[in-house]
Amino acid sequence: MTYRFSTRQTLAHGFLILGAIIVLLPFYVMISTSFKSPAEIATGTGGVFGSQALFPDPTCLALGGNEPDCLVRPVLDNYSQAFTAAPMWRYLLNGVIVTLSIFALQTLVAVPAAYALAKLKFWGRDAAFALVLFCLLIPVHAIALPLYLMLAKLGLTNSYAALILPWIVSAFGIFLMRQFFMTVPDDLIDAARMDGMGEFAIIWRVMLPTAIPALLAFAIFSVVAHWNDYFWPRIVITGDRSLFTPPLGLREFKGDLGGDFYGPMMASATVIAVPLVVAFLLAQRRFIDGITLSGMK
Amino acid sequence: MSDLASLTNSGPKQQRIARPERPERRQARAGMVLFAPALVLLILILIVPVGVAALLSFTDYTLGRPSIDWVGLRNYIDIFTGSSYRKMIVATVLYVALVVPASVFLGLGAALLIRSLNVGQSFYKTVYFLPVMASLLAMAIVWEFALHPTLGIVNRTLAMGCGTPLELWSWFARSCVDGFPLWLGDRDYALYTLAFIGIWQSFGFNMVLYLAGLTSVPTELYGAAAMDGVKRGWERFRLITWPMLGPTTVFVVTITMIRSFQVFDTVEALTHGGPAKSTYVMIYAIYEKGIAQNLVGLGAAITILFLAFVMLISVAQRRFVERKVHYQ
Repeated sequence: MTYRFSTRQTLAHGFLILGAIIVLLPFYVMISTSFKSPAEIATGTGGVFGSQALFPDPTCLALGGNEPDCLVRPVLDNYSQAFTAAPMWRYLLNGVIVTLSIFALQTLVAVPAAYALAKLKFWGRDAAFALVLFCLLIPVHAIALPLYLMLAKLGLTNSYAALILPWIVSAFGIFLMRQFFMTVPDDLIDAARMDGMGEFAIIWRVMLPTAIPALLAFAIFSVVAHWNDYFWPRIVITGDRSLFTPPLGLREFKGDLGGDFYGPMMASATVIAVPLVVAFLLAQRRFIDGITLSGMK
Repeated sequence: MSDLASLTNSGPKQQRIARPERPERRQARAGMVLFAPALVLLILILIVPVGVAALLSFTDYTLGRPSIDWVGLRNYIDIFTGSSYRKMIVATVLYVALVVPASVFLGLGAALLIRSLNVGQSFYKTVYFLPVMASLLAMAIVWEFALHPTLGIVNRTLAMGCGTPLELWSWFARSCVDGFPLWLGDRDYALYTLAFIGIWQSFGFNMVLYLAGLTSVPTELYGAAAMDGVKRGWERFRLITWPMLGPTTVFVVTITMIRSFQVFDTVEALTHGGPAKSTYVMIYAIYEKGIAQNLVGLGAAITILFLAFVMLISVAQRRFVERKVHYQ
């Protein structure tokens, strides 16, 4: 296929490329800096990926090493510092534990509730749905202070429970799954009942399999939100590094190293941002659908 | 006894005999049982905290002290009279007022431009969506470095413009002599810089919502408009595209507002509300007063004020959707 030259198209591309440069600028800065030596960062030289010339590691010199033994490759030094100067693996593991637990519990709570709201007639159902709609209006971040106090009274701050508990009921998840279950034909459920399935079995063996696309979109929505969340972990985790999630770890890293360690810091930022960005690039459609889910209201 | 029945017969008919309950009643009970966990959790996690915040906002409670006194409206009066709280309201409202229009407008502009392309649609869509995906805290730290007064790529690039016709712009010429701004360290620039990061992060999300909105505009409308002599792009946009995007716009504006009201990551990591409280936004104030300084009463009062703002926006949106945005 060939396209004829068009001023309009060229102009549109011009604007969009300009926008793309600004959008990509910090990503470029992050990755490029994570490849460079301190000297290159300080002088703004080294091109895109740095010259990768060996340089002596100052901490190694300070410990009395002689120069030839202390030479390191900038990119390797930055990334190895990202993993050794802070327990990065632990942070990443915590991120995985927290996001997956939140999603699993959200599903466990939301799916039966959504099924009840969509397919079972019970006293107070309309009021229950109204409650869900009302709760959609309350951003959890806004009520962080009372939630924090309640957790503190229970002695639960600085624990995985504190990171996970406030998120296990998602009004949005209930709402979303309810809307989806409404579209499942009643005949399917009646047939399952005829076969002697209980309501619980119907939920997990009949309803859930039909709702996999909706559930997957919700999974992406939930995991992205909680992997990147910084506000809530900042509040409930104070001090205990072994509970830090990736953003908290990065923030601590920044505080610890002060101003001059941009290489390792950018390497850490890259390590934290990369899992989701790569997943996004691999499954763009699903991610865009999942994250803009809230647009379905 | 039903155990016995299910041991001997597992067929549905026999079960019904063993449990003479009507199916509607069984369904009703199952419904309540299945919704119960969600009900309890919604109340405990979302409703009770709102009540707790409302109560505490009338007290001088601090965590770890046994006594608690009612102080009436004291905390609210402090908020509306104290100068640092006035700065908080100003910073929050200004931040929202900067981010929302720019982010919505850029989202719409990008969506329209991308839709008009013959090639490269998905490339731009991917690129513009990247900031939505990436951890805002990580990217905030990167922006801080990019905006570093001396080491940052932004000021280095700007400095290259010195000695070129760009110096005709008086701000630029002055900066070439006195140095380019500190961005995050200058109270005249800090909030605008944070707003810029906020816009950078959020407009790709709006773009995707607008792209979805655009696909639902019926193409026949454009054909009909062309028959009526509406040919110019701007007229087509004004008469068809923009009105048809009404529901999308209402939603995009609401969600951008609610999200920008909640800005925290960039403020906490980059400015701590400073310099001179110029970036002292509400969520950061709740964090600083209520949690870091343990002035729970004040923090609770700001929480209630914040919730009132957010509820107001949501209610306004729902009324707007019911009344104005109505095309079917």
